[in-house]
Amino acid sequence: MSEFNPTILAFCCNWCSYAGADLAGVSRLQMPPNVHVIRVMCSAAVKPEYAFKALSEGIDGVLVLGCHIGDCHYLTGNHRTKKRFPVAQRILRDVGIDERRLRLDWVSAAEGEKFQQVITEFVSDIKKIGPNPLKEVKL
Amino acid sequence: MLMPRIGVFICHCGHNIASAVDVEKVAEFAKTLPDVVVAAHNMYSCSEEGLGAIRRSIEENKLDRVVVAACTPRTHEPLFRRNCERAGVNKYLFEFVNIREHVSWIHAKEPLAATEKAKMLVAMGVAKAALLQPQEETESGVIPVAVVIGGGIAGLSAASALVSQGIETHLIEKEPQLGGILKDIAVIGPEMVKTKEIIDGMVKEIGSSPKAHVHLSSRMTELTGFVGNFEITVTAADKCAEKIKAGTVIVATGGQEWSPQGEFGYGKMPGVITQLELERRLAKGEFPDSAVFIQCVGARVPGREYCSRFCCNASIKNAIRIMEARPEAQVSILHRDIMSYGTTAERAYHDAAEKGVRFMRYGLESLPKVDKLGDNLHVDVYDETLDDTIGMSTDVVVLAAPMVPIDNVKDLAMMLKVPVDKLGFFLEAHVKLRPVEFATEGIFICGTARWPSSVSECISQGLGAAAKASIPIRRGKVKIEPITAYSDPEKCIACGNCVQACPYQAIEIVTSKEGKRYAQVTEAKCKGCGNCVAACHNDAMQQKGFNTTQLSAMIDALIKNALEVVQ
Amino acid sequence: MKDKVVVVGGGIAGIQAALDLGDMGFEVHLVEKSPSIGGHMAQLDKTFPTNDCSLCILSPKMIMCADHENIKLHTYSEIDGVSGDFPHFKVKIREKARYIDISRCTGCGDCTVKCPVKVPSEYEEGLTNRKAIYLPFPQAVPRKVTIDAAHCRMITQKKCGVCKKVCQAGAIDYDQKDKVIDIDASALVIASGYDQMDVSLLPQFGFGIAKDVVTSLQFERILSASGPTGGHLVRPSDGTEPKTLAFIQCVGSRDAKCHVYCSSVCCMYATKESILAGEHAPNVKTSIFYMDMRAVGKNFQEFVQRAKKSYGVRYVQSRPAKLQPSKDGKGVLINYEKKGTGGDVAQEEFDMAVLCPALEPSKSASRLAESTGLKVDPDGFFATPDLKHPVDSTSKGIVVCGFASTPMDIPDAVTQASSAAARVAEMISGGGC
Repeated sequence: MSEFNPTILAFCCNWCSYAGADLAGVSRLQMPPNVHVIRVMCSAAVKPEYAFKALSEGIDGVLVLGCHIGDCHYLTGNHRTKKRFPVAQRILRDVGIDERRLRLDWVSAAEGEKFQQVITEFVSDIKKIGPNPLKEVKL
Repeated sequence: MLMPRIGVFICHCGHNIASAVDVEKVAEFAKTLPDVVVAAHNMYSCSEEGLGAIRRSIEENKLDRVVVAACTPRTHEPLFRRNCERAGVNKYLFEFVNIREHVSWIHAKEPLAATEKAKMLVAMGVAKAALLQPQEETESGVIPVAVVIGGGIAGLSAASALVSQGIETHLIEKEPQLGGILKDIAVIGPEMVKTKEIIDGMVKEIGSSPKAHVHLSSRMTELTGFVGNFEITVTAADKCAEKIKAGTVIVATGGQEWSPQGEFGYGKMPGVITQLELERRLAKGEFPDSAVFIQCVGARVPGREYCSRFCCNASIKNAIRIMEARPEAQVSILHRDIMSYGTTAERAYHDAAEKGVRFMRYGLESLPKVDKLGDNLHVDVYDETLDDTIGMSTDVVVLAAPMVPIDNVKDLAMMLKVPVDKLGFFLEAHVKLRPVEFATEGIFICGTARWPSSVSECISQGLGAAAKASIPIRRGKVKIEPITAYSDPEKCIACGNCVQACPYQAIEIVTSKEGKRYAQVTEAKCKGCGNCVAACHNDAMQQKGFNTTQLSAMIDALIKNALEVVQ
Repeated sequence: MKDKVVVVGGGIAGIQAALDLGDMGFEVHLVEKSPSIGGHMAQLDKTFPTNDCSLCILSPKMIMCADHENIKLHTYSEIDGVSGDFPHFKVKIREKARYIDISRCTGCGDCTVKCPVKVPSEYEEGLTNRKAIYLPFPQAVPRKVTIDAAHCRMITQKKCGVCKKVCQAGAIDYDQKDKVIDIDASALVIASGYDQMDVSLLPQFGFGIAKDVVTSLQFERILSASGPTGGHLVRPSDGTEPKTLAFIQCVGSRDAKCHVYCSSVCCMYATKESILAGEHAPNVKTSIFYMDMRAVGKNFQEFVQRAKKSYGVRYVQSRPAKLQPSKDGKGVLINYEKKGTGGDVAQEEFDMAVLCPALEPSKSASRLAESTGLKVDPDGFFATPDLKHPVDSTSKGIVVCGFASTPMDIPDAVTQASSAAARVAEMISGGGC
């Protein structure tokens, strides 16, 4: 059986984490190729339903990256994201999906290294958790 | 409905992308995606050559949507959008996929995986592009009138700058005359310039300009509308309310001196006065033979921790004035740090010391003591530098109390729908980079209503606010980037989640003609953050360019293509 | 036909003035002597009192400048001369040869990898090197490389030529010459900013003598995640994390023998750097040696209280007389007078010390004063003698904003930049919009 190569989705906010991801690129910081970024304007625009959809249809992990608390371009957005997150995790737990497949973190536009670190850690964590069992159901 | 015709252009970016990503394979893969009519690869898409190739392809293949897979959209998206427009494709029917910063540069040693990831990202971009809607940047008109609330030095400066640009300006002042706190102050520090020289000129300019309308003894009692289209109700003491339509508003409502009741005998001992009370005496030519200034009275103390910025310089200025009028005078300044920052103020500090003003540092743990001694006052202070208690008799004790917000600041804030901080000073959009603007577009802030400031700083801020306030008026219109939110009245259940989620108060619940309540977005106020979309549980709220169908399609595309590969 | 305005200086004040003037409908020529706009703010790790990441808030403004339909960037450029009077100034802008065809350069950076010449990096305050062909920092705007002619082997000795070989875009042009452009401008905005004084001129503070004495800008680079130490707080002598750290305020400022004036921002940035040091190295013990703690802005006093209470920063009201290396050339010994003791002198040892040097008008300011005929004040800052018009220089039609006129922090510089724009509009438009 070949090694498990997770497929991971990441939502990055335009002002901070997407720019941080860009900086990681500009700085040539290497990281595992499992994470696919969707750009949104604010982390608070990420509907929990997107995470539920992705995870229930076979994606192995979902990352939501926003600005550090206090730095949100839209003033209060990331506070919302922070509050919403434990609720989303509980819903995953309740339906039997490992809540560790959803992770929230803060990456500023200057934190290329943090982006690299978060990606590397998350991929490693998901590898340990194993493939999303719902993948089999779909196929 | 016509099927979309998508063109996909993969960029080599020299070998920046091509070294890790097999660009040709990605182009081949792109051809297999739904709705893709043509897929090509370019050496440098952003070059004149590359852009031209895209335009030619649009024409030849009758493309109506374009996907470019290259570097980061944060640099070149506007460039490619304009390129689409040149070729006749609506600039919002364009999607940018990042395969350089997000792929080739970070997976440089894994070309196979990098190529697969690039394919996935392109598939996601294509899925979104298929569902994009043409958008136009909407424009909202701007009424070419500005309103300045407050006729102190900051407001005067702003109004005078606006009328000099030829902009019709209404200046609203609650007192019967202009000038604010400077009415009582004859000399401005640390520059030592006569107030008359500054204020008179501005008042004259405003008074003589046909573009300026001054409303004395008047207050703003209501404000409605949004940038470009405000309606301000102004009520004068003896008249009915007047409605003014304006494009932009500047808040210059100032502050007031904190009254140090009970501090150091104020209110009980005559001779213990505030800085403003001293100013009034000095303006009348009543110079004392001795004075002890006590700094930080009611400031930098528990309960009011801030430093009021200009009090040290005001005391130094007044100490110099006293020494110049009465060279034999005994003047001391008791302080907990002298805040004479910068060039002019620091030189004034030196000047004062040279003239014989004594500076004594005291600590919060041992405050100076003020007692009556016959007709005079007696002050004892433990001087930290000398490690000794000094006693001195004096005619007056001047308490340098901080500037605090005006009494009705919260009412004002509610009327304007702008925030104040926990001290009651208005909160600007960004403390570093947007110091004279509110987050709410079209409303600006200057002077001591925002934070205690020197006269020179108030004038600068007034000018700065005028500059910002003039921009929408000069342009004549306000552009709204089409990433705004909109609601579907059919799906909306008027739960109000979106109203709460919006950081800009851009959403309200309205009632349709048929009596249905639903959320409505005021496009001019919407900043496109998408917070409301996530807060909506009924899928009623959407964001242009980031709607739920588009994002779901991107997720589907990843699932379909990635999981196929895993097989 | 739009009225033209030349903005001299591409730091935060120049950038803001350019953006406001561009938005107001003027054609702006933003002239910056370094290869990229951004100024000193681009070197900072974080900004007080919010500890916002500096480049995060600066970068979007830099990109807006580059992208603005009304703004033309002239980077690696200087003012050669200004003649005429308001509103018909003739401004000569010298675009120095970069030896790069910027219409072809994509900023990919391949050339910088292969260049064999190392030069101390200005952006990193000499803590590491750059190459003779270089991008000053990753987020540079414009994202184009520059060849530093003085250090390039091809330009000086006709040897090497590796960059041209590896450049796939064909952007290298060793024969490029300076280009002088004439602009008919209605007004000028001077935003030439500041430079830290050369603290080696004050040997009593140990810079260049004790290895572990650094300047505050060097410290910013050490704190930066993208800087020479990857954001690890380490001292130069042996690369270890300091357990004790000292900040020395007013090095050259408020000094009768050097600069009489106060540089305004150092009390706050030292507080900021001490907080950041505490975040990078939670066990570090920091002391700030100061004269007056000038925390006068919004939330500034709370920031200082935070440093004291949450990070244990010790504020010592005293002016150190001497800094010298401690044993083995590592660490720093600081001599200072203890307040209120009538002259008792103490000596304390610290692992590392940071000097807060006087901030002088930019090195280019005196040349600019000559070209423009503007008067400077006794401290070398551009004089703005009329309080009614605080951004007006001594020549009609030329305004000054930001640190070029007097020491000030970022919000004040941004405010003044907008004021400068208003003043220009007032002067040019007169009556009618």
